Amino acid sequence: MTTQLRVITRRMTEHPADSHTLARYEATGGYRQARRAVGMTRDELVELTKESGLLGRGGAAFPAGLKWSFLAPARPAYLVVNADESEPGTFKDRQLLERDPHQLVEGIIIAAVANEVHHAFVYVRGEYPKPARRLQRAVDEAYASGYLGEGIFGSDYDLEVTVHLGAGAYICGEETALINSLEGRRGEPRLKPPYFPAAKGLYMMPTIVNNVETISNLPHILEMGPDAYKALGHEEDTGSFLFSISGHVNRPGNYELPHGLTWRELIFEVAGGIRDGHELKTWIPGGASAPWFVPGDHLDLPITKNDTGKAGSMLGSGAVVVMDETTCVVRAAERIVRFFAHESCGQCTPCREGTTWLEMILRRIESGAGREVDVDLLLEVGGNISVGLAWPPRMTTICPLGPSAVSPIISITKYFKDELLAHIHGGGCPFEGGER
Amino acid sequence: MSEVVTVTIDGRQVEVPAGELLIKAAQDRGTYIPRFCWHPRMKPVGMCRMCLVELETPRGPAIVTACTTPVSDGMVVHTRNETVQRVQEGVLEFLLINHPLDCPVCDRGGECPLQDHVMAYGPGESRFVEEKRHFEKPIPISDLVLLDRERCILCARCTRFSEEISGDPLIEFTDRGNGVHIATFPDLPFSSYFSGNTVQICPVGALTATAYRFRARPWDLTAVESTCLQCTAGDRISIQASQNEVLRILGVDVEPTNQGWLSDRCRFGFQYLGSPERLATPLLRDATGDHVEASWSEALAVAATRIGDVLQRSGGQAVAVLGGARLTNEDAYALSKFARVVLGTNHVDAQMDDGLDPQFLAATVDRARIGDLETAKAILVWGPDLKEEHPTLYLRVRRAAQELGAKLVVVHPRRTGLDDRATHKLTYRPGEGADLLTELVAGTGRAAEAREALAEGPVVGLVGRAGYGEDPRLAEAVAAFVRTLPDGKVLPLARRANVYGALDMGLAPTLLPGRVSVAGEGADAIAEAWGGLPDHPGLDARGILEAAAAGDIEVLILVGADPVRDVPDGDLARRALETVPFVVAIDQFLTDSSRVADVVFCADGFAEKEGTVTNLEGRVQKVNRIVPGPGQTRPDWSILDDLARRLGVELGLTSAEAIAKEIAEVAPAYRGVTWERLDWEARDGIVVPEEGHAPLRYVPADTPGARHGGDLVLHLARVMYDDGVLARHSPALAGLAPGGAVFLHPDDATRLGLGSAEQARVVTEHGEATLPLRMDDTLHRGVVYVPFNQPGVPPLGPGPGVTVTPA
Amino acid sequence: MGIYPAGAMSRWSPETRERARSILARYPEKRSAVMPLLYLAAAEEGYLTDEGMAEVAEWVGLTPAQVQSVASFYTMYKREPTGRYLVSCCTSISCMLLGADEVLAAVEDEAGVPAGETDEDGVITVEHVECIGACGGAPAVQVNYELIEGVTPDTARELVRWLRSAAPDSVRADEMQELFGTRRSFDWAIAEHAGAVGPYPAFEPYGTTDGHP
Repeated sequence: MTTQLRVITRRMTEHPADSHTLARYEATGGYRQARRAVGMTRDELVELTKESGLLGRGGAAFPAGLKWSFLAPARPAYLVVNADESEPGTFKDRQLLERDPHQLVEGIIIAAVANEVHHAFVYVRGEYPKPARRLQRAVDEAYASGYLGEGIFGSDYDLEVTVHLGAGAYICGEETALINSLEGRRGEPRLKPPYFPAAKGLYMMPTIVNNVETISNLPHILEMGPDAYKALGHEEDTGSFLFSISGHVNRPGNYELPHGLTWRELIFEVAGGIRDGHELKTWIPGGASAPWFVPGDHLDLPITKNDTGKAGSMLGSGAVVVMDETTCVVRAAERIVRFFAHESCGQCTPCREGTTWLEMILRRIESGAGREVDVDLLLEVGGNISVGLAWPPRMTTICPLGPSAVSPIISITKYFKDELLAHIHGGGCPFEGGER
Repeated sequence: MSEVVTVTIDGRQVEVPAGELLIKAAQDRGTYIPRFCWHPRMKPVGMCRMCLVELETPRGPAIVTACTTPVSDGMVVHTRNETVQRVQEGVLEFLLINHPLDCPVCDRGGECPLQDHVMAYGPGESRFVEEKRHFEKPIPISDLVLLDRERCILCARCTRFSEEISGDPLIEFTDRGNGVHIATFPDLPFSSYFSGNTVQICPVGALTATAYRFRARPWDLTAVESTCLQCTAGDRISIQASQNEVLRILGVDVEPTNQGWLSDRCRFGFQYLGSPERLATPLLRDATGDHVEASWSEALAVAATRIGDVLQRSGGQAVAVLGGARLTNEDAYALSKFARVVLGTNHVDAQMDDGLDPQFLAATVDRARIGDLETAKAILVWGPDLKEEHPTLYLRVRRAAQELGAKLVVVHPRRTGLDDRATHKLTYRPGEGADLLTELVAGTGRAAEAREALAEGPVVGLVGRAGYGEDPRLAEAVAAFVRTLPDGKVLPLARRANVYGALDMGLAPTLLPGRVSVAGEGADAIAEAWGGLPDHPGLDARGILEAAAAGDIEVLILVGADPVRDVPDGDLARRALETVPFVVAIDQFLTDSSRVADVVFCADGFAEKEGTVTNLEGRVQKVNRIVPGPGQTRPDWSILDDLARRLGVELGLTSAEAIAKEIAEVAPAYRGVTWERLDWEARDGIVVPEEGHAPLRYVPADTPGARHGGDLVLHLARVMYDDGVLARHSPALAGLAPGGAVFLHPDDATRLGLGSAEQARVVTEHGEATLPLRMDDTLHRGVVYVPFNQPGVPPLGPGPGVTVTPA
Repeated sequence: MGIYPAGAMSRWSPETRERARSILARYPEKRSAVMPLLYLAAAEEGYLTDEGMAEVAEWVGLTPAQVQSVASFYTMYKREPTGRYLVSCCTSISCMLLGADEVLAAVEDEAGVPAGETDEDGVITVEHVECIGACGGAPAVQVNYELIEGVTPDTARELVRWLRSAAPDSVRADEMQELFGTRRSFDWAIAEHAGAVGPYPAFEPYGTTDGHP
C-alpha cells in the first residue's frame, strides 16, 4: 500500500477542526519561515527555491526558481497567485484554500520577498466563494497580526495582498489571460512574445504568476531545506504532488503523493480501484487537456513528468479522470470538447471556430447522424488547430486551449476507433442511456 | 536603430532592419504574407492567424504568426511550404464556416481581402455541414455606419482603431468564444468622429457606410488621389467616382500628414458636390429683386459695369474682397492678382475674423511640421479643441502622447478630446489667458507642474484661438513662449480649408504672393511683375465689414465666403451686407450671404478642378479633378480673368497649370514648385519655402493682448459638425450637428439660479437666444460655452460679455 | 465625472458606493476594479443591468461599451433577470461520468424550466455549467455558487422543492450539503455560516454575503 505524504496536507489532516485558523497555524509552527524570509535577500531565496527543484503545480511544471530568476529589474513588480483552478478533474487548490489558507499566505510572503514584490494578488475563480472567504479571513488575520500591511513582522518591508474573484472563465487560468482579467479586461491570453509576465505582466510591469499549490510549498521548503524537500520526491519531480482523482473509482479525492509510483498503484491502490463489478477502460492522466491513457499501454508506466510526456500525454495539474467500460467515449470526448469550445476566449480563429466545429461533429456522431468521412474530418479539423496532432502540440493558436480540445479527438480515434465507427454505422450511441 | 539583419525567406536571403515585424519585412522584400488582422498603423494582435508561417528553430520547425514575430539575424522562414499552405487553408476554412458568402450583395465584393485570400490561399470547398452562426442582418451602429455581424471575421481592426487610434472605444468585442461579436452599448451609438476609418479598414463587408452602401461596385469606380480640404492638415485622400458622381473618399496612408486616417467630415463631407441646390448658372437680380438665371456674358457685363463705375468714381479703396480660403492656390493667386491689379485694393482677406495674424500663420519662424510630433518629448496644445477643429492632427497628437511617450500639456477653457491623454490640463477664462501664460512662463502657481513637463525638448507647440472670445494675440504670445523652450517649434493653427494657401497667395491685407509683406522685401519684384500695386493700407475681414456697415465700401466681392454664418460677429456681417450697394458672389451655393448678392457666379468645387493647396505646415500638395462641375460652372480663375478683361485689364491667366508656373516664378516662397514635381517625385508634397526661398520671417510677438473680465465670459468655439453650407448640403453630415446649447459649470448655474433649469436665455452685445442648458463641470468657472454656428441659433458672438438668465 | 458622459448620478446606495470606494483603493489602477464593481452592480439590482454597467463605467473611467465587453466575457455576470436562486448543475466530464445529466434533468423537471431559463415566479433559474471544481464529489450542484457535492436526481428534486418551500434568505453550502449532498471531494471539516443572498458569489469584501462570518 502506497503511503501518502503529509506536507502541504499535514495540518488539515492532523487538525481538521481548525486548520484554517491563525491560532492553529501558529501553534503548528506557522509564519516562522515567512518571518525568516523577510530577513533574507532575493538572491538567497531564489537560489534556495532553485535548489529545491520545485516545479510549478499549475500544469506546465516549469521550475519555479528559474521563473523567479527571469523577473525583469523594473519595479514595482507584482506577484499573482493563480487560484483560478478550473481544469475539469482538478479540485486540489480548493482544498488548500479552504483548509489551510494561512499556508498560502505565508508562501505569498516568502515569494513576495524573493521577488521584491509589495503588492500580491490572489485570483480566485468566482465559483469558489467559500475558498475565497476562508482566504480573505486568513488575509485579514494576517493584516491584524502585522504579517501583512506596512512593515511586516516589524521589518521595513510592506506587503499588500488583494483577494480578487474571477467570474466564470477557465481561460483566466492561463497566466496572461489572468493578468488581463486582473487588469479589468476580457480574459484573453496575450501574445508571448512579447508579453512574458516576468518582463511585461500586470500593468506591463514584471510579474510572477504562481499556482496555489506551488506557493503553498514554499514554507515547507524553507523549513526543511531544499535537500530534504527534494528527497521527498522522485528524481526531477521533487517534493510532493497533489493528485485529484475522480470518475469511476471507489475513493475519489485529493492525494498528496510522491511521483514515481505507477498508474496501476494510483488507480487500484490509492484510489481504491474501479467501482464494483466494473473494469478500467481509459483514464485521463493530467486534466481534460491531456491525451488519454489505456490499460493495455500505460498501466505500469511510472507517474513522472518525463515518462508521461514520452508516452504522449502530461501530468498537468495532476487531475486523473478514470472511466470504466460503461463509458461512451464519444460522449466523454464530446463533453471535453464542449468544455473547451465553451471556454474558448474567441480571439483566435482556429480555436474559436475549430473547437465549436469539433463539438458539432461529435454531437452529430453521438446522435446518429455521423458519416464515415467524419472520422477523417475530426482529425483534419483537429490538425488545423494542432498541426500534425503532435505532442506537445504545434499550435496554430495563441494559447494551448485550442489544442487541448484536440486531445480527446486524438485519443478516441487512436484507441477507440471501432466504438466511433459503431456510432456511425449503428446510427447512434450503442451505450445505455446514449442518444440514438 | 538602423541595424540590418539577414533573413532567409523561402530560400532567398534578404537584408532587413533588425526588429521589424516579419510580415512587413517580407512584404518590403517582395514576399506577401496573407493577413486580415494585421494593420501597419496598429499594434499586432495575432488573432486571425492568417499569416502563420514556419520558422526553423534549434528545436525544430515552429509555426508562428508573421505579424507578431520580429526578424532576427539568421532567421529562416517558410511562407509557402506544405505545412504553411495547409494551415493557411485551414484558417480560411475556419473563417468561412460562419461567413454568409453573400458576396453578390456585399459592398466589399470585388475589393474584399477575404474573397481575394480565399482565391489565392483557400480551400476549394467547405466541409462544414452544420448550421452557420446567425445574427440579425445589418444593424445601424451610428448614423454613418452599419454592422453585419455575420460577415465579421473578428479581426479587431475596428475595435483597435477605436481604442488605440481615435480614443473613443464605443465598439467592442462582446460575449465569448464562438459567440463573440462586435457590439455597441445599448442607446450609445458608435458616434465617433472617425468611425468611417473602421469601414475602410474592415477586411470584409461587416462594416459599411450608409453613404456608400449599394451605390457602386468597385470595378465601376474611377479614382484620383487628392488632398482633403475639410481641415488644414492636408490629408491625402483617394476620391472615387462613377458616372461623373463622387461616391466615396478613402484615406491614403502617407507618413507626413494623415497616416491613412480621415475624420468622418472629410470622408463623408463631399456629398454637397452632387446637391440639386448647387448653382449651375450665374444669377442676376430682376426688377423685383429676385434672383434669375443669366448667361455668363450678361452676368459678367453687369458686374463689370457696376465695378467699373465704382472704381472710376471712388477708386480701389471702396472695393473689398472677402474669402478665398476654399480656393486652390492657383485660384487664390488669380483672386489676389485681380484684387491688386484690377481692383487696386488691399482690402482682401481669406480669414473671417476668426484666425490669427496672417503673417504669423504664413511665415512664423521656428515653424514645426506635423512629423515633428513623432519625435517630440513634449507637446503644448493651447488653442482649439483639436478633435473638433483639426481631427487628423488630433490623432497625431494622441498618438504622440499615447504611443510615443510625449508629455502633453493641454490648455483650453473646458474639456477637450485630448484630456484623457494629457499629462497636464489647465483651464482658464477666455480673456485671462495672459495671466495663465505668465504663470506658465514662470513655472509658478497652478502652471508649475505643466511647466516642468515642457522642460525637455524637442517641444512642439500647437497654438491657435481656443474660441472667438479670445484675443488672437494670445496665441502669438504662447508661440513666443514655445520658442524659448528647448528645441521649441510652433504650429500656428487656422482651420479653414486652404487658408494657408490663400494667405501664401496674398489674400490678406498685409501679404503678397509667396510670403511677401506688402511693404517688405520682395514687394517691388511683385509690383514689377504685376505692373503695379495699390499703396493704401488694407483692411482685414473685420475692418472690411465695419467699413461696409459704415457705408465706406461700395463693392464687396465674396469668394466662397458666407460671413453671415462664418464670422464670429454675424450681426456685423448682416449689417455690412445690407449696407453695401453692390455685392458680387462667386460660390457653389446660395448662402445666407450670397443670397443678398446682386450678381452670383457659379464656380467649380472640390474634385471638379485641378490645382495645388497648402497645409498648416506649408506643405504644397495637388488636388485633382475627377468629375465636372454641374451646368455652366467655371473655375474661379477663369471667371476672374474674364471679369478683368471686361474691366479692361489682361491678367494673362490661361489655365490653372499656367498660373502654377507663374506662381513658381513670381511668388518667392513657391519658387520651383511645379505640378510636374508634385505629380511625380513629390507625391507627399513639398514644404515651402524650400532652401533659400524665404522672404518673410515673422517673429511672434510676446504681447498677449487685451485682458477682459466680467462676471461671465462667452466661450464661442467650433465643433466638428455645424450648420456650414457645405455640411448642410451633405446628407450624411447634415443631421450630425449637435444643435444649439449653452453650457455652464454647475456651480455657476446654481449661483445664477439655473440649477434645475432646462433652458436659459443668453444675451450678448450682438444677439440673444434661448438655448437648452447643459451642465459641464469641465468648464472653467465663469465661462459660458456656446458651440458656434449650430442650426437655428442666431449669431451671438464674439463675446466676451454675456449674461445668462432663466428662460 | 469621467471623460465619457454615461448617465447622471449614481444609482447605488450610499453603502454600495462606500464599498466601491474601498474596492478601488485595493488596486493600483482603477480599471482593475471592474470585476468586483460588476458584482456590486449585480447585487444592487439582482442582476447586471445596462444601467449597472454604465455606472461601473463611470467609476473606473471606461466607456459603457468597454464594460459590457468585459462583463459579457464572464459567465457569472448575469445580464438577464435571474431567479432568487441560481441552480447551477455541473455537467463536465467527471460529473457527467457519475450521472450529472440525470441530475440536471431532474432539476429542470422539478423547476419546470429548461437550463438557461427562470421559472415564472422568478424563484429559480436553472443552468448547466462547466466544471466547478468538485470532481471528487461528483455530481455537483451550486445554488447561488454555494456548493453541494454528491447530488442524486432524487436529492436534486428535494433541493428545488426546499428552495421553493423554505425560501431561505440566504443559502449556505454546509447546510445544503447536509440536506442534499453525499460524497464530498474532501473532508469539509468545520461548518461555515456565511451564506449567499443572491445569484452572485458571497464574498464579504463585495458585501454580497448575509453578514455571518
